Amino acid sequence: MSKVNTALASELQYYGAKEFSACYNCGNCTAICSLASENNEFPRKMIRLSTLGLENEIESSLEPWLCYYCGECSSTCPRQAEPGELMMSLRRYLTARYDWTGLSKRFYTSEIWELGAIFLLAAFILVMFIFFHGPMTTELTAEGGVKLNTFAPWKTIEIGDWIMAALLGFFLLSNIFNMYLKVIVRNKNIKIPIKLYFTTLWDLGFNFATQWEFSKSENKTKIAGKQFNISPYWIMHWLLMSSYVLMLILIIVFLGWFQTDNIYQWWHPQRLLGYYATFGLMAGLIYFFYNRIKKEQESGKHSHFSDWVFLVLLALTTITGILVHFFRIYGLPMSTYYMYVFHLMVLFPMLMIEVPFSKWSHLAYRPFAIYFAKVISAAEKVNSKD
Amino acid sequence: MAMEEKNKIGVYICHCGSNISDYVDVEKVREEVAKIKHVSISKTTMFACADATQNEIVQDIQENDLDAIVVASCSPKLHLDTFKNVAERAGLNPYNYVQINIREQCSWAHSDKPVQATEKAIQLVKSGIARVGYSEALIKTKISAENVVVVIGAGVSGMRSAIELADLGSYVYLIEREYFVGGRVSQWGELFTTNETGKEIISRLYHKLMEYKNITLFTGAEIISSTGTVGNFDIQVKIRPRYIKPGCKVDPEKLQKVIDACPVEIPDVFNFNLTTCKAIYKNFESEFPEIPAIDPDHCTRCGECEKLCDDIDLGQQDEFVNIKAGAILINTGYDPYEPKTGEFGYKEIENVITLPQLKRLIELSGEELIYKNKKIQNIGYIYCVGSRQKDGENKYCSRYCCTSTIYTSIVIKNKYKNIHNYHFDKSIRTYGKLELLYREASENGDVFLQFWDEDPPVVSRNGNGTVVSIKDMLTNGKELEVDCDLVVLVTGMVPRQDNKIADILKAPIGRDKFFNEIHPKLRPVETVIDGVLISGACQGPKNISESLKSSLSAASKANSLVKKGEIELKPTIAFIDKNACVWCDECMKACPFDAIIKVQSNGKDVAEIVEAKCKGGGMCLPVCPENAINLKGYTDNEMEAMITALAD
Repeated sequence: MSKVNTALASELQYYGAKEFSACYNCGNCTAICSLASENNEFPRKMIRLSTLGLENEIESSLEPWLCYYCGECSSTCPRQAEPGELMMSLRRYLTARYDWTGLSKRFYTSEIWELGAIFLLAAFILVMFIFFHGPMTTELTAEGGVKLNTFAPWKTIEIGDWIMAALLGFFLLSNIFNMYLKVIVRNKNIKIPIKLYFTTLWDLGFNFATQWEFSKSENKTKIAGKQFNISPYWIMHWLLMSSYVLMLILIIVFLGWFQTDNIYQWWHPQRLLGYYATFGLMAGLIYFFYNRIKKEQESGKHSHFSDWVFLVLLALTTITGILVHFFRIYGLPMSTYYMYVFHLMVLFPMLMIEVPFSKWSHLAYRPFAIYFAKVISAAEKVNSKD
Repeated sequence: MAMEEKNKIGVYICHCGSNISDYVDVEKVREEVAKIKHVSISKTTMFACADATQNEIVQDIQENDLDAIVVASCSPKLHLDTFKNVAERAGLNPYNYVQINIREQCSWAHSDKPVQATEKAIQLVKSGIARVGYSEALIKTKISAENVVVVIGAGVSGMRSAIELADLGSYVYLIEREYFVGGRVSQWGELFTTNETGKEIISRLYHKLMEYKNITLFTGAEIISSTGTVGNFDIQVKIRPRYIKPGCKVDPEKLQKVIDACPVEIPDVFNFNLTTCKAIYKNFESEFPEIPAIDPDHCTRCGECEKLCDDIDLGQQDEFVNIKAGAILINTGYDPYEPKTGEFGYKEIENVITLPQLKRLIELSGEELIYKNKKIQNIGYIYCVGSRQKDGENKYCSRYCCTSTIYTSIVIKNKYKNIHNYHFDKSIRTYGKLELLYREASENGDVFLQFWDEDPPVVSRNGNGTVVSIKDMLTNGKELEVDCDLVVLVTGMVPRQDNKIADILKAPIGRDKFFNEIHPKLRPVETVIDGVLISGACQGPKNISESLKSSLSAASKANSLVKKGEIELKPTIAFIDKNACVWCDECMKACPFDAIIKVQSNGKDVAEIVEAKCKGGGMCLPVCPENAINLKGYTDNEMEAMITALAD
């Protein structure tokens, strides 16, 4: 016996689901959804669970993560209940439910908390630089570049990097573990042989690296009159994601090589990799800003406050990074130093908030959800044979 | 009466374009029937119904002095009246005309066998000729009709039809059993789509009603007998006194004092027993007529009120009024279904009420919704209580309740803070434009839980609270519980418990116990009793706009019956051979319309047909042991002649 709890519907409003109460369970969304199957009335089931406020059932559901917001459900809904947007909101809600610190819930449901945290972390970076920065020399290197490593020696920054990476990893992994507890461990109906965790590992890796499910949309890419079986959304998403991950690896693992005072030739990998990432980020940003402003695709029609925060922070990080690069190679020392500080003041809050508590964490939850779903269905097959 | 009397019969055989002539050899049919002795004209025609052919037939009848005609063409359903009119135009009695159907019955039915189709057509036309030989010239009888209509029930639909009838020029007697007009609608608050209250609608209608000189309203009045037939009903009405002098000028303060002085306290039926009232009462201030009333069933005649007010007169007596009316319109409305004790906890769990009670509760509540001193926050509505019953008698859907409940839940949501509505339904039927209300309720965050017929929700006590548990259809039967402070049983409409009027007027009752119309689509407001019409919710569940549509339709139907001052009756009715009749009363028992009475004739008891009541149904014919009854237009002679011709 479960209790009906209408408070959840009010709570979900803060996560962005404002229209789903209009649902009258016709099931059009399920009929059109490529994820729905005979045994899984998706997304109608998730809407119903949300209406009834059955929090435990929602918490143990993987479906919201399997949805890649193609938007077919929202465009066929006869009551404009926006099922796609409810799935998006449930992803935010689940992120908050997995997060044991409670910070994610605060960030998603309160603009003051989100902005407050950003400014606090930015102020922290500023204070650190005020007290610990190196000499602000105007002397240039032999090649005419700014001596950035004198102002901010990469070895010092790297220590900060590692501390940050450890924090991010700790929060994200513990939240994923929490997800595992809610989805698999608490589900008493199923016993999973240990072996299966390894045999399905490929799905985790593949989906982590490619987020391939995003490519499966009705909306196909056309280049020079030829139609490709992948969506433009996936291309742009992957461009953005790969650039971002590349940058993350460069600054955390190879900072000494990347943050150099040397000015290499244009074909040098240090510059090429940087330019690729910059291009990927800029192209992705333009695409996603356009998507949210023009509202042509279903996925861009509703923007939560956290969506804008993320895009703005990423855009600022990218632009300041580009400026640091050019100020340095064209020998503008003071501009380089200030821009570098500003760059880190945006970058640090973005990573600290987005990776474990907000949108970037979805990049980890999605492949894990696919992985868990595979593990569960493989286990069900094994169990049914027994 | 004999075949010999018709010796100039005209026969017309129609091609119907090619519909008939493609399969039936119409020329051969003509040749065959032309051989019959009394046929003086036989013709084939491309379209018998065409204007030119009609004129030709008229001309033939007049020039040749034909005494009967037969047209062999399509179904009489299509053109019987057409050729009756042709006969009439030519000065021939329309009942000396017979139509034979050789299209549906020959060419269309036997298109694969044209020879046999032709043979069949010949036989059929011969039988028609045989029948028309015995046909009698019948004349429609006319009876006088009073342009007076009695409307029973002054609810929203009765009042509206009274106004319409008065506008159309009929004199109207509006008879209301209660002391006040308005019926059920006066009990409701805000009503859906227009947001007016029931009271507002009723007072608007009442003021309009009062403008008419040709409407007489009786309140506290009941019909106690009705005799006569359409055009001439004799109706006796009993009017109970109000025990208050007619000239009373009501002073609210003084009235309150008088009410306070009354020692009798009884459950207030107007509020569905949520409150109590006194024997002297007025349900609300703007109720009409303005003068309060004393309920004689509960008044103890103690005289306390008379001491305070000179206008009270406990000595008033019943009055009786006789009315002569041309037509009667029944508008007696409905009763809300009363759940059985224990049905979803009704009368066993204290916070289980019905939808009508909830509506009165809202009317009686102020800023907060309070029931039994408890502030209400979670309301559960259980739908289809007393309607769409799986095992019970009420199989029908009561139509108004889904919308009414959803509208009430919206009103509640707008009026009070922090209320959660839970709807336990069998499937929501907010048909037509009312669907928008369903949407609005969903968007308000109301939760709809659908249950299966065989698994209705269960209402039970849980400590101090009440819990409704349900197997939710939309989560594949998940068992869910909802805590409710108030459980509202959405009760449907049932016929009036006290439905004496049906017996008095002999108005037919359907299987669902509501009044029954002749044909739900084609004659939706008439009953098989000529001159007795039905409209509004007495006929079956309806919302207010549907009720008014039927009451307006019944009003114009009633007016059209009586406005000419006379009514034409069909001549095809039964007649009795009084010499043969031995009065065994079998025919009287067989007649569903009470059209047969016993009279004295030549010193013996015989049966007689009341012409205004006979429908020509023929039920009396086969039961007569003496074969003393015949049906005009369908006499034994005619039928036997047809059979003989067909068997030839």
